[in-house]
Amino acid sequence: MGDTLLELEGVHKRFGDLHVLRGIELAVARGSVVCVIGPSGSGKSTLLRCVNLLEPPDEGRIMLGGRQITGQTEDGVDFVRRRVGMVFQQFNLFPHKSALENLSLAQTSVLGRSAQEADDKSRALLERVGLGDKVHEYPERLSGGQQQRVAIARALAMDPEAMLFDEVTSALDPELIKEVLDVMRELAAEGMTMVVVTHEMTFAREVADKVVFMDEGLIVESGSPEEVLDHPREERTKRFLGLVFEH
Amino acid sequence: MDVVLEQYLDLNLMGEEFGFVFKGFLETLQLALISGFLALAWGLVLALLRQLPGKPLAPVRFATIAYIDAFRGVPLLLVILIISGSLPFVAEGLGLPRSVGIPQWFGKPDPFWYGVFAITVTYGAYMAEVYRAGIEGVPRGQMEAARSLGMSHGQSMRHVIVPQAVRRVIPPLLNDYIALMKDTSLVGVIALVEVVEAGRTVQAETLNSSALTLGALMFLAVTIPMARIVDRLLAGQQARFTRGAPSSA
Repeated sequence: MGDTLLELEGVHKRFGDLHVLRGIELAVARGSVVCVIGPSGSGKSTLLRCVNLLEPPDEGRIMLGGRQITGQTEDGVDFVRRRVGMVFQQFNLFPHKSALENLSLAQTSVLGRSAQEADDKSRALLERVGLGDKVHEYPERLSGGQQQRVAIARALAMDPEAMLFDEVTSALDPELIKEVLDVMRELAAEGMTMVVVTHEMTFAREVADKVVFMDEGLIVESGSPEEVLDHPREERTKRFLGLVFEH
Repeated sequence: MDVVLEQYLDLNLMGEEFGFVFKGFLETLQLALISGFLALAWGLVLALLRQLPGKPLAPVRFATIAYIDAFRGVPLLLVILIISGSLPFVAEGLGLPRSVGIPQWFGKPDPFWYGVFAITVTYGAYMAEVYRAGIEGVPRGQMEAARSLGMSHGQSMRHVIVPQAVRRVIPPLLNDYIALMKDTSLVGVIALVEVVEAGRTVQAETLNSSALTLGALMFLAVTIPMARIVDRLLAGQQARFTRGAPSSA
């Protein structure tokens, strides 16, 4: 674990009258895994979407590798999106393209790799997420877990410095969750910097270097998994964890 | 009854005039093919202009919407008349070459090309709306996924959104195309001898409408199969939809 890769300072986001993020301060060390937990509507997803500027913050600064990416310039958008991969709850694979083409498209059109280069890289990554036999399948022929693994591989194909995971197992049937989390465990073990919005407390406990609890647009509490999950200091954290572990 | 048959289905007359009417129908087909192709392309351009992102491009979006509203709201016949009546003078006044003001490209007479312009600008507006429905029907997550991979708005549109949108809107586009084909008959008013004008000429000479009936049959020979294709495509999409497309969930 080294220097700070990603840093948010006083980030605010409003949707009309709705004040979704109310001053977020967060530092993510290079090579670390940060898990963000909290009730729905607490702003977790918006936080991720602000980081890669799908939702530009209204106030505050976001630094990536020491460079400010906020400030509305297209430069910042390109800079962050080429360095930070994102995986969505709904997979968002391109349905008219095969698994291989899903991985190759941005490699050729954004990074300018040759078709051959992109192809090789895509095959290797699909192999790595356990889908070496599905390279030519279209998304509708794949299970949710397989689709999500393709989506992770698609983001990895861009050689990102960090990965954002937005509730990536929430849309999956229970028996398919493990195969996706296993890929993420491996990725973490290899030293990928990850910010993971999740409801999977076991995963957070096992993989996270830092757990962040959010509520009502603020970071209420953060620390090691033991600190936040086992010995929460804040009343709201205790209440949330009580509800989660109850069932 | 006899008078009805004689007026509308005089087989002798139909036989005699078949060549003349069919020549008009070939003109109709060419007009429909060329203006149809151009309207499909122009409609897509308009739809994409309308979807351009960001504040600085708001004037472009506004102008596009104004254009679409205008051409959807006026009769094609009027557009044909104002183009054919004034384009020669406008082109000359602007110092454009004569071949623009009075186009006679590829051996086709100028009324043909005025018709092509008028149909393209008018049907382009209709088709833009169809494309728009298709583009807006693609789930938001598709654009977000493409953008998060670093693709530009244009790249995302080209590789991700438009290919999916076009598949969805082929049936309604074909419907518009059938309407376009029928509307080519309006170009007859500026002396292009397409199928209806050909039939009308015969009608005026013989005081008998059978040549127009013949023209109608020629239309139907093309439009009914097209309508069936639309039905089949829609049924296919419906089946897909009810089966559920897990990929777009």
